[in-house]
Amino acid sequence: MIRYARIARTFLGAEVKNELAYRLNFFLGILEMVLVIGTSIGAVLVLFTQTASLNGWSLPQMIALTGVYYLVQGGVNVVFAPSFEKLMEHVRLGTLDFTLLKPANTQFLVSTRHFRVVRLVDLLFGASVVIVGLVMLGSVVTPWSVVTFLITLACGVACVYALLLSLVTLAFWFVRVDNILAIFWAFTDAGRFPIDLYPGWLRLTLATIVPIGIAVTVPAEAISGRMSLETFLGMLAGTAFSVGFASWFWRRGLKSYTGASA
Amino acid sequence: MSEAVVDVRALEKIYKVHERSTGIGATVGSLFRRTWKDVPAVARIDFSIASGEVVGFLGPNGAGKTTTLKMLSGLLYPTGGDATVLGYTPWKRDYAFLRRIALLMGNRTQLVWDIPAADSFLVLKQIYGVEDGDFRRRLDELVELLELQPLIHKPVRQLSLGERMKVEFAAGLLHGPDVVFLDEPTLGLDVSMQARIRTFVAELNKRTGATILLTSHYMDDIVALCKRVIVIHHGKILYDGGLADLAERMAPYKVVGATLRDGAAETDLSRYGELMSKDDAGRVKLKVPRAEAPARTARLVADLGDAIADLSLEDPPIEDVIDRVFSGEQLLGAEAEPVAAR
Amino acid sequence: MSLVATYRALFLASFQSFAAYRIQSLLWMLFAIVRPVIFLAAWVAVATAQGGTVGGYTIGDFAAYYVCLTFVNQLVLAWNSQEFEWEVNQGRLSAKLLRPLHPLHYAVVDNVVFKASTLPVLVVILILISISFDARYETQPWHVLVFIPSVLLAAGLTFFFNWIIASLAFWATRMNTANTLWNRASFVFAGQIAPISLMPGWLQAISYALPFWYMQGAPTEILRGGVTPERALFILAGQAAWLAVCFVAFQVIWRRGVRAYSAVGA
Repeated sequence: MIRYARIARTFLGAEVKNELAYRLNFFLGILEMVLVIGTSIGAVLVLFTQTASLNGWSLPQMIALTGVYYLVQGGVNVVFAPSFEKLMEHVRLGTLDFTLLKPANTQFLVSTRHFRVVRLVDLLFGASVVIVGLVMLGSVVTPWSVVTFLITLACGVACVYALLLSLVTLAFWFVRVDNILAIFWAFTDAGRFPIDLYPGWLRLTLATIVPIGIAVTVPAEAISGRMSLETFLGMLAGTAFSVGFASWFWRRGLKSYTGASA
Repeated sequence: MSEAVVDVRALEKIYKVHERSTGIGATVGSLFRRTWKDVPAVARIDFSIASGEVVGFLGPNGAGKTTTLKMLSGLLYPTGGDATVLGYTPWKRDYAFLRRIALLMGNRTQLVWDIPAADSFLVLKQIYGVEDGDFRRRLDELVELLELQPLIHKPVRQLSLGERMKVEFAAGLLHGPDVVFLDEPTLGLDVSMQARIRTFVAELNKRTGATILLTSHYMDDIVALCKRVIVIHHGKILYDGGLADLAERMAPYKVVGATLRDGAAETDLSRYGELMSKDDAGRVKLKVPRAEAPARTARLVADLGDAIADLSLEDPPIEDVIDRVFSGEQLLGAEAEPVAAR
Repeated sequence: MSLVATYRALFLASFQSFAAYRIQSLLWMLFAIVRPVIFLAAWVAVATAQGGTVGGYTIGDFAAYYVCLTFVNQLVLAWNSQEFEWEVNQGRLSAKLLRPLHPLHYAVVDNVVFKASTLPVLVVILILISISFDARYETQPWHVLVFIPSVLLAAGLTFFFNWIIASLAFWATRMNTANTLWNRASFVFAGQIAPISLMPGWLQAISYALPFWYMQGAPTEILRGGVTPERALFILAGQAAWLAVCFVAFQVIWRRGVRAYSAVGA
């Protein structure tokens, strides 16, 4: 376990040195994020000039949800998304072999190989926005809500991770899976609102095949004290299932790639 | 005799390829029923390699060299047979096994493009669990041997192909492997870089005693590094034994090269040997049966004396030897007769 | 070669190369639809909470607004600023500058081909959305007549404004920032968050002053109907004014940019 933590830390360290070397780019990246998050919050504020509740969500709760939206995005984009992008390239170019030669778990290596350090800033800003929302919520925050928030947030990121891993595993058979991934990214925008806002088919999609919806909504419910026990347990079960499936699918893909007969 | 480090028995890799014939009927038919053809990439081969040997795998494209290497390094599952490397079954991919081997592939890089090689080295140190002391020592040695000092702190993408290959080599050997598989290591490099890599590999074997198995298209690689060569073609082993031995068997002749003056080149030289080539400057090459080479050379000197400006006696070009092996002029068994018998 | 003949040749080439990007283009449409759908869902929730109407817009009105907005967006969009940096880096711009044809013609043709090819599918999807949300249109024949010049003005305006941003690639090291600014400005001011009349007063004022609303929100209102002739005229005037400004700016900036580019040894 510790060994893997150290390996991940080395991956991160190498990338930090590299990105910080381009300081202007780094700072511009931060400014862009400020702009994006700022305008997203602005959109929420505009909606709330005309109402006091959005399908039962108050303004502080919606602000917290917006923060969670960027937290989840940050969590996925800081390491998993860039690593999977590179993985598709490796499968295409045949350089995945090098990863297979390493005395370490292949799934771990391909998932953590490449960090995009500037996205850590997304996490920072996302967390800040969540805190602003919490301050506005005042006394609603309890230790239980914080704990369940952190757990469901991790679950949410894990669900998205599982989906991306499964899609990328298809590259073993189909080589070019960029289009399939693009479909996923197209739906990401829908995570900015709670999924109970959406018509049935969209809600279902965002809870299952494109889990960005539940990844954002459930932790937001947790932190604003709206989450039911069923939802919490469902989230845990769903996460365990999807991560388990994705890992199994990955191993199958690897077996196929290395020509194992069964 | 030291224990075999690599032991291969009846190793086999058969790919199932979807068979396609031409014509509309066949194409439509293939929509409903696919016929599969078995393509043997490696067809039941046997060989053993002892510790510290440097063995060359020779064969044309598609002969099965890379497939064999991939099976021995655990990247590929065989469809039949057995192999053990350092006592492990490679495709079980034991971490302990992976820590003791290395596979370097020419023209393919495992280093991260944007960061300096030195940082990638640290990553590898972490993954392989190399101790600080060993790491320092090996790194210094590799940097010295490969002249890497100015290169390792630049982002890899800024290096030329030759520089990149040198750094790749270092990266692949940092964990001090006992067995090194080299797949076309000098591919695409210029002549001087090829020579440097060859020197390095020889040094590596001398200093660390690592067992080296290398495949190459370039005869010069094999000749410079390998005393033993395994010739592979269509997935089968055609020859396994000493390189010099191979030359003696497959091409039992020597080449007499002479530069002749005063029109001596135009005379009939057939009593000395078979004429291979002749040019306007009077340079001739004669093919002479190996056993008679000294005698014929002596006769040539005696007869043409003053007309000889230059004289040499060489082994047949190795490409010639290999071509003969591939064309199956004398299809030899998997194991050559022991050298001692000659 | 006459401009007509040139355009015919460019169109042919563009249609052929478009075939390779069919799937990507359909996916792009998915991107373009998700946002209006989710904001529509949000406003429906707001309207429901307020008893069915918000600021004069019923749920049906919102549905019609967002359907029209998506339609307009598809007709006016321009992506020069995203491709340009890549073209400069690849040296393809140099090749184009060597020819006796302004590079913008290639972009215009690609632009039209993309829209023509993807519009049918989009219209089908929009009709479905329209039906499922029970969209309410107040469109009268004269609205449609006015819509045509309006959307053309909007398309031209978007194209040239975006081209100006693209030109920044001549000087800027990081185009991503410029693109983000463009995207977010459109997001806020073009009418994607809400119909302009529902925005807070000060935001409305800024939106009327900037070109973004004239690119999307304004022609949307005309198409949906429910605008008075005076407002329609106001919109057309605003669009024309902004188009003129952008066209002049485009000429100036482009020429300066090409000179800077050539000075470094294109």
